[in-house]
Amino acid sequence: MSLSQRLKADFSTLTLALIAVAIVLNIVLGQVVSLLKLPIFLDSIGTVIVALLAGPWAGGLTGLLTNLIWGLISDPVAAAFAPVAMVIGIVAGLLAKAGLFKKWWQAIISGVIIAVVLSIIAIPIRVFMFGGVTGSGADFITAYLLATGRDLFSAVLITVIGDNIIDKVVTALLAWAIVKGLPRRFTGRFPRASAVID
Amino acid sequence: MIRYSLYVPGDTWLHRLHPLTKLSFSLAAAVIIFGGPGGWLAALLPGLLALLALWRAGLFRQAARTGVRLLAPVTVMLFLIHGFFSPQNQTTLLRLGPFAIGQEGVAYAGLIAVRLAAVLAGSLLLVFSTHPGELVQALTNAGVPHGLSYLLGSPLLLLPQMAGRVQVIQAAQQARGLETGGTLPRRVRALFPLVAPLVFSALLDVEERSLALEVRGFSAPGPRTSLREQPDTPGQRVARRALFVLAGLLLAAGVALRVYGRH
Amino acid sequence: MAVIEVAGLTYTYPGSSAPALKDLTFQVEAGQLVAVVGANGAGKSTLCLALAGLIPALFHGQMRGTVSVCGLDTSQHAPGQFAGRVGLVLQNPANQISGMRYTVYEEVAFGLENLGVPRAVMPGRIEHALDQVGLAELHDRSPYTLSGGQQQRMALASILVLEPAVLLLDEPTAMLDPAGSQAVFEIIHALVRTGTTVVIVEHRLEWIGRYADRVLALAEGEVVLDGTPADVLSSPLLRQIGVGWLRYTRAAHLGQKRGLWPDTQALPVTLEQAVTGFQQAGARPPTEEQLDADPR
Repeated sequence: MSLSQRLKADFSTLTLALIAVAIVLNIVLGQVVSLLKLPIFLDSIGTVIVALLAGPWAGGLTGLLTNLIWGLISDPVAAAFAPVAMVIGIVAGLLAKAGLFKKWWQAIISGVIIAVVLSIIAIPIRVFMFGGVTGSGADFITAYLLATGRDLFSAVLITVIGDNIIDKVVTALLAWAIVKGLPRRFTGRFPRASAVID
Repeated sequence: MIRYSLYVPGDTWLHRLHPLTKLSFSLAAAVIIFGGPGGWLAALLPGLLALLALWRAGLFRQAARTGVRLLAPVTVMLFLIHGFFSPQNQTTLLRLGPFAIGQEGVAYAGLIAVRLAAVLAGSLLLVFSTHPGELVQALTNAGVPHGLSYLLGSPLLLLPQMAGRVQVIQAAQQARGLETGGTLPRRVRALFPLVAPLVFSALLDVEERSLALEVRGFSAPGPRTSLREQPDTPGQRVARRALFVLAGLLLAAGVALRVYGRH
Repeated sequence: MAVIEVAGLTYTYPGSSAPALKDLTFQVEAGQLVAVVGANGAGKSTLCLALAGLIPALFHGQMRGTVSVCGLDTSQHAPGQFAGRVGLVLQNPANQISGMRYTVYEEVAFGLENLGVPRAVMPGRIEHALDQVGLAELHDRSPYTLSGGQQQRMALASILVLEPAVLLLDEPTAMLDPAGSQAVFEIIHALVRTGTTVVIVEHRLEWIGRYADRVLALAEGEVVLDGTPADVLSSPLLRQIGVGWLRYTRAAHLGQKRGLWPDTQALPVTLEQAVTGFQQAGARPPTEEQLDADPR
């Protein structure tokens, strides 16, 4: 298949409708989660679901656009982390392709991998644009690590991974469970979903 | 309460500028602020320009309020963390008990803070004065593939609708006795019954949505037309191109300086 | 001239073992109003998707036979080419809102823009479509502030603005209240008078009895009845396949068995026919209790 044919297949109207809905889910689920006051964000669950159903590029696009749109309508700061959100989708999609999203324990491992990879992308943005600071409680951990003599990069790295690991594991597990729970008639229209379901 | 719109309706000169002009300014400003030569100067000039534009459009107070809301926690943390703990600290400005505030750290924090404020001002200039739908329409008219503008545009209207659905599901589950307070395990157990119905119902709608799009020619080949046109002037078109070139030049200069010279 | 020609249509969804449609063959002439009835899962929605050209293009699966609408073979043309000729209105009003436009007026324009209709022509067509569905005063409102019935009329306008020769509707009133449903039916009835061919999947037999030119009954993917409303809606087969009869049809049938309905008269499929028939027989129809006690 040529590139333009592949693009058309990967981004059919159905996939586009899925991505649009997933973007909204990403944004709205944060509300639900804050109600429960849990130490997670769940703001990439739509991204991972798209990655599982429609592949890494669709997943990456979901993450990228979620942050850009959120930046447009609520918090321009989020737009700076669009590359991070994109990487979440790409990595999740690649892991699914490699068969690492079939069982629940694989979903957990994939969640850890996603957390680590996204941190690698997030650190330079955090450090260079924001001086390593998030404006949240996680900064106290960064402060402590700095005080004990670490350099800024590794201090931020530890903080960001720690901040994200629970969230990404929960996100990966939930996304896996949801995709497995969708009716066959729906998932059957997404050829890439077979890597997760069968 | 999450806000779903930063747009401030109005009819100022800023509102009437073509959306792409404002977008070009925001992007060029961001590039120059972070990538341009000169540190403080590269940050201050575009930032002050943006603030001036906002002031002349009567949006300054709003911008200040939003800026404080979005950046205050980060700024405070910046000064605390870098002031006290920056590895670059050598000169002491102030002593507070066992802790010392270092000058290098404070300077660094100050630079980051100014950059963030300037970039935010540049983006608020766009976001306050441009209706999101018009921005998407402008992008479509400029040649962005319609699939992409669908992805940029439709979540904007879908968002309040789905937020409403969240409230309904929340109320329904709570009426069924779902506990959302209390111990951590209990709150964790509450997660799936809150998340799953919303996600499932949203995903199952996807198929019908895509069919409705198809029957309205969404995937039809051939050129598209548009009902509305946004007012644009040749002057703005020139300005946009000039901004693009300027940002590119300054970025190149900034990179060159960092790579080959002293910052 | 047949505007819809279906020949030997058999379709199986991917991953499914049994075909959803089995060997369907029928034609629809221009300007007809065809109603499609059947129990859930009988294949009615699948038939709509096939007539709209969305099957097989979007759903893949296995298709045999041909479907030709407005002279276009559905297996040879992409869905985009059917958009201006065949319209499809679905069940859920909210899902048919594109989300791209902030007013009803602009939402209706969406399809015109996709199909590259010249801008100069748009206002006339949009206003005509809004008039057809009675939404002209609401043209400035945001689509999401409309009621379900209004949103469904907007969806209808968004399709009518494309001036399709064939209009398909898949249970368009399933999620509407009676007033909303009535409004939709009136619009469709007016449409048929202007020459549009309409195929509508519906459960509300009263309306079908009154307005349809022809009724197709589907069961398990096959056409089991095909005729006028008078014939189909009084056929015993309709009850066997799970669709059932109108109450007054049942009443007359019962009455027939007791000499209360003229033997020579066909069973009624509209209220007027029922009243006339019973008046002629000079008897009162059986009561609710008699109906319920003898549910044949």
